[in-house]
Amino acid sequence: MLMPEKMNRVLIVGSKENMKKTIDVLYQTEAIHLVDFPAEEQGFTLGQPLTEASEASQKLLKLRALEKDMELTEDGCDMKVVDACKLRSECDQNIKELDSKLSVVVEKRVQAQTRLSDIQNDRKALEPFLAIDIPIDLYKGYNTLGVSSGYVKSDPSAQVRQASADAEVFASKDGKFIAAFYPKKDAAEVVKALMQNGFVEVPAPNGTGLPAARMKQLDDETVSLEKTMEETSKTLEELRKDYGCAVNATDEQLAIEVQVAETPLRFGATQHAFIIDGWVPESDYEALRSKIETETAGKVNIEVLETATRHESHEHDTQHIELVDYGQKDVAPTKQANGKTVRKFEYLTEMLSTPKYNEIDPTVILALTFPLFFGLMIGDMGYGIAFASLGALGLSKCKSPEWRTIATMLFFGGLWATFFGFVLFGEALGMHFGPVWEGGATAAAYPYGNELTWSYIFHYNLPHIGIFSKLVDVKMLLFISMMIGFVHLALGFGLGFYNKSVRFGLKHAVMEKFSWIMILVGGWFMLIWLIDVLIQPIAWMGFPLLQYYIYIALALILPGTIMAYLGEGGGAILELPGLMSNVLSYTRLTAIAMSKAGLALAFNTLAFSIIIDVSGTVDPVMAIIAMVVFVVGQLMVFILGIISAGLHAVRLHYVELFQKFYEGGGSKFDPLRIVRKWTSEKAGE
Amino acid sequence: MADMGLIAIGAGIAVGLSGLASGVAEAGIGAAAVGAMAENEKLFGKGLILTVIPETIVIFGLVISVLLWIKME
Repeated sequence: MLMPEKMNRVLIVGSKENMKKTIDVLYQTEAIHLVDFPAEEQGFTLGQPLTEASEASQKLLKLRALEKDMELTEDGCDMKVVDACKLRSECDQNIKELDSKLSVVVEKRVQAQTRLSDIQNDRKALEPFLAIDIPIDLYKGYNTLGVSSGYVKSDPSAQVRQASADAEVFASKDGKFIAAFYPKKDAAEVVKALMQNGFVEVPAPNGTGLPAARMKQLDDETVSLEKTMEETSKTLEELRKDYGCAVNATDEQLAIEVQVAETPLRFGATQHAFIIDGWVPESDYEALRSKIETETAGKVNIEVLETATRHESHEHDTQHIELVDYGQKDVAPTKQANGKTVRKFEYLTEMLSTPKYNEIDPTVILALTFPLFFGLMIGDMGYGIAFASLGALGLSKCKSPEWRTIATMLFFGGLWATFFGFVLFGEALGMHFGPVWEGGATAAAYPYGNELTWSYIFHYNLPHIGIFSKLVDVKMLLFISMMIGFVHLALGFGLGFYNKSVRFGLKHAVMEKFSWIMILVGGWFMLIWLIDVLIQPIAWMGFPLLQYYIYIALALILPGTIMAYLGEGGGAILELPGLMSNVLSYTRLTAIAMSKAGLALAFNTLAFSIIIDVSGTVDPVMAIIAMVVFVVGQLMVFILGIISAGLHAVRLHYVELFQKFYEGGGSKFDPLRIVRKWTSEKAGE
Repeated sequence: MADMGLIAIGAGIAVGLSGLASGVAEAGIGAAAVGAMAENEKLFGKGLILTVIPETIVIFGLVISVLLWIKME
C-alpha cells in the first residue's frame, strides 16, 4: 500500500497481421505504459500507422472543418452517451448529410457576407457624390470629355474656366467637393488649375442614377442581406441543435480511432513483425498475457524482461549520466496503489511531485495526518460541523478532481475538528458550552458563569466539557503541539529509513536516517530537561529520572551527529538547528487555534455583550444589529479557517514531514487507454 | 511587578520584528515563486516550500516571546 505497484518491463513481439488485435487488447486492458521505441535501433524502423488511420484522419479533418463552419462549441450540449458501434456505421452518412445541409447555408452566408462588405465599400465611395446632384453614370464613359471629381481647398471654378473656356464646374454646397467637366484637349491645364486649389481626386463610383437614389438602393440591399445573415444564423443554430451532439460524439469517436490507429508509431517494426516495449504492473501482467494469447491464438509472444528493482547503487552520479542518455526511459513509472478514499488525496502529493517508483508514496500519511492537523487547528464543533457538511456537499456535487480533493479534505478535517471541538476544547463557534471559571464570590450573582459561554447566553446550565481552553492553557498546548511535532518527524525519519534501506541498503539507512532518529529522540530528552530546569519543574508530568535526561540526550545526540556527518557529510551539522526549527514549527498548530479562538471571542463579545445583560432582557433592535455582527464575524472566522488551517496543514506536510523522506520526481504510470466522454463502447457485450 | 510592562513590550517586539523580517524575506521569494509557477504550474509545491523557509525566523521570535511571557507569570 505504501510503495507504488511493482512494475514488469515487458516485450511483446508478433507478426504484423496480429498487430491490430494486439493493440485492441492493450487498449482494453489499460495495463501497459508504452516506452517509445528508439528510432535509431539497428535493423528496426518505427511502426507504420494502421491503414484505418488515414481514412479516419481525413474524416476527422472534414468534420473539424464542418465544426468550424457551424461555430460549434462543446458546451451547451446536454446529451446522452452515444453507442460507439452505432456511431461508426452511421458516421459517413451523418457527415454527408450534415455537409450537404451545411454547405448550402454556409455558401449563402459567405455570399451575403462578401456582398455586404462590397456594399460597405460602395457606400463609402458614393458618400462624397451625394453633395452634387448629377447621376453617377454621367461621370464616366466619354470620348472627348474629361471628368475630375474630388476635394478642393478653395474654389477653382474661375481658374478652370480660364484654362478651358468650355469647362464646367459643379461644386457642393460647402464648396469642398467639386466635379469638373472639360474637353480632353484642355485636360493638362484644367488639372493644373485644380491642383493649385489643393485638389485631391476621388474616383467616381459605379452604378447608375442619382447618388441619393443609388444610396437608397444600397441601403435596401443591406437590409435584405442582413436579413439573410440572420436567417442563416438561425439555420445554423438549428443545425447546431440537431447535429451538435452527434458531431461532438463523432469527433470523439474519430479522434479515438486515429489515436488507436497511430499507436504503432511508438512500436518498433521490421518488414513483417512488430515489437512493443513497455511497463506493466506485476498484478496486471497475467491477465494481459492470457488475453493476448487467447485473442491472437498464441501467435504473439509476450515476455517479462525484468521486474524493476527498487534498489539503486549509491554512486548515482555515473548512473545518472546513463539515464539521461536514454531519456529516462529505463526508469519504471509510478502507479500509486491507494484505496478509494486515500486516492482523493493523491492530488496533494501530485502538486509537490510524483513519487519515485522506489520510494514510499506519502499519500497515505497525508490522508491520515492532514485532516488531523486541520481538525486540531480548527478545534471547534460549530465550524467542524459546517466544514464537514460543506465537504459532503462538495463531494456529492463536484466533478473536477481538484474540487473533490478539497471537499474530501474539508469533510475529514471537519470531522476531526468536531471531535476535537467536543472532546478537547469543549466549544462551538468560539464559545465554551458550560461555565469554565466560576469566580467564588461572583458565582451567586452570575448563576450561569461570568464568561461568555453558551450557558450564559441561553441561561441554561450546560455541563462543562473539554480538557483545555485555547486561550488559557496556552503553555500546555504549545508543549503538546511540539510533542506532536516530535512524533510526526519521527514518523518521517522512519519512512526515510525504510526508503533508504530499500533503495541503497541498510547501512546507508542507518547512517543517514537512523542517526537523525537518534538526534530527534535526544532532542526530546533535552527539551524536557530544559523545560524542567529553565522554565518550570515538570515533576507533575511523571517523567522518571528527570535529572539524568541531559545525559541521555547527549548520549543520543552526539553519536547521532557523528553518524549523520559520516553518512551525509558536513551538511548534516548545518541541519541540526533546522531540526529544532522543524519541531518548533509545529507550534503553529496551537498558534492558529489560538488566533481563531481569539478572533471568534472578539466578535462574540461584540455581538452578545450589547444585548444580553445578567437579567436576560433583550432589546429587539439591538438584537438584530448583534445578529448581523455575529453572522459576519463568524463567517469571517470560518473563511479564514479554511485558508490558514488548510494552508498550514499542507505546509507542515510539505516542508516539515516530506523533507525527511520524500524525493519525488517519478514519472506517472500512463497506460494506453481510451477516454470517452460522449460515446460508450459496448463491443464486449 | 514594575517590569511586567517592559517584558510584555519586549515579547511583542520579538514577535513583531521577526514577523516583519519573515515578511520581507518571503516577499522576494514569493514573487519569484509565483513567476516560476506562471511558467510551469508543476512548480507549486517547490515554490511553496522555498517561500515558507524564512518562516523559521518568526517561529524563533515566537519562542523568545513565550519564554519572556513565562517569565512574566
